[in-house]
Amino acid sequence: MSAPWPERPGCPHNVLKASSEPKTVVGVSLGSSRRDHRGRIHLSGVPVLVERRGTDGNLERAVDLLRQLDGQVDAIGLGGIDRWLIVDGERYAIRDAERLVAAVTQTPVLDGKGLKEVWEPRVIDALIARQIINPEDAVLMVSALDRFGMADTFYRRGFPTVAGDLIFAAQVDYPILSRAELVRLAKHLLPEVVKRPFAELYPIGAEQDAASDERYRRYFDAAQIIAGDFHLIRRYWPNTLEGKVIITNTTTAADVEAARARSAKWLITTTPEIDGRSFGTNVMEAAVVAVSGVTPDHAAWAKTVEDMDIGFGALLLNP
Amino acid sequence: MDALEKVLEGFVERCNKNPRLIAMNRDWTREVAIRATDTGEAFWIRSAAGQLSAGKGTATGPADLEIRADRDVLEAIFSGQMAPTEPYNQGDLLVRGSQDDLLRLDVITLMIWGE
Repeated sequence: MSAPWPERPGCPHNVLKASSEPKTVVGVSLGSSRRDHRGRIHLSGVPVLVERRGTDGNLERAVDLLRQLDGQVDAIGLGGIDRWLIVDGERYAIRDAERLVAAVTQTPVLDGKGLKEVWEPRVIDALIARQIINPEDAVLMVSALDRFGMADTFYRRGFPTVAGDLIFAAQVDYPILSRAELVRLAKHLLPEVVKRPFAELYPIGAEQDAASDERYRRYFDAAQIIAGDFHLIRRYWPNTLEGKVIITNTTTAADVEAARARSAKWLITTTPEIDGRSFGTNVMEAAVVAVSGVTPDHAAWAKTVEDMDIGFGALLLNP
Repeated sequence: MDALEKVLEGFVERCNKNPRLIAMNRDWTREVAIRATDTGEAFWIRSAAGQLSAGKGTATGPADLEIRADRDVLEAIFSGQMAPTEPYNQGDLLVRGSQDDLLRLDVITLMIWGE
């Protein structure tokens, strides 16, 4: 990353105090509260209680919850919204997220971008090494701007990759066909787009439970790999995904069954399964920070994530 | 022919020659009303079945999107001399319509003229 993680009031140091005491991490999400979940994981031998709390798209509720949690937990995840979009080293702050983060002054707030940048490329490489995917496979990334690390890896490894950001976020039926085009569009459009209410760009709250809309199924049909944000995948996936590999996270047990029913072959989650579901990168990133004391702007972040080896999920749905 | 009308015709001609923009706009049926705020003149752009058309005068149907700016700004935008974002941020370009339609116009200008 070319720019450092901005320092935050009350959190002036990028290396926090690490210890082997049990940790508590809560992810505050703008998503549906129906997807709330809690579980226990161990990272580097440290037990971490992880919990996700959805606020059903209500920003005020999210602000209140963030204020309540500030200083009470070891790290906070921010889900259902990105704090920044980072594309080719350029950082674009999302206005609604800035408002949420401003509610917290003591506890580190993580949106998962640090894991997306560092961990998800490693997952893609691990999938290639295990021959679950290979660079001849066509990829549909329903959203690449929020997962540039993954998209970049697909492009660099030679996967024919379509980025569907304009299609699925703005209903502009323009498939982005190359890394260069993705970066060019990001530079041109994101400075204004990030000022828009986040709800206009991404399904939040009850919209996450909406029935599937198949109008863009040709893009799913043309790909062997469907990757990116699960809510966007679920909102637009067709009734059959036979033989395809889904690479995403934040899936519940019901989502797994829905993918299985569509005949998808693999469901890969870039974060590990915990008690039947995969948490968002924001929650897992918060767990890494809580245990290691290293935040994503620190030079040791990549090595910390690598050493911690959080794992990922690989579920063979239909052999 | 009016200079701005000529610029608009050039704009739609470039769109109509671009296969990716034709595909992008195939389901985008819109009336765009354009008003030169300094002269009060009206122009229109119509999108239907992937093809754009343009002319001088008031749009025939209700406008889905309204664009207002001084004539020189409109000429600069639709001739590719200026990105719409620039006058928009300065308050010299007023656009009324859905955010997704605005984004689409941005994409169109980027695709036919680049940065």
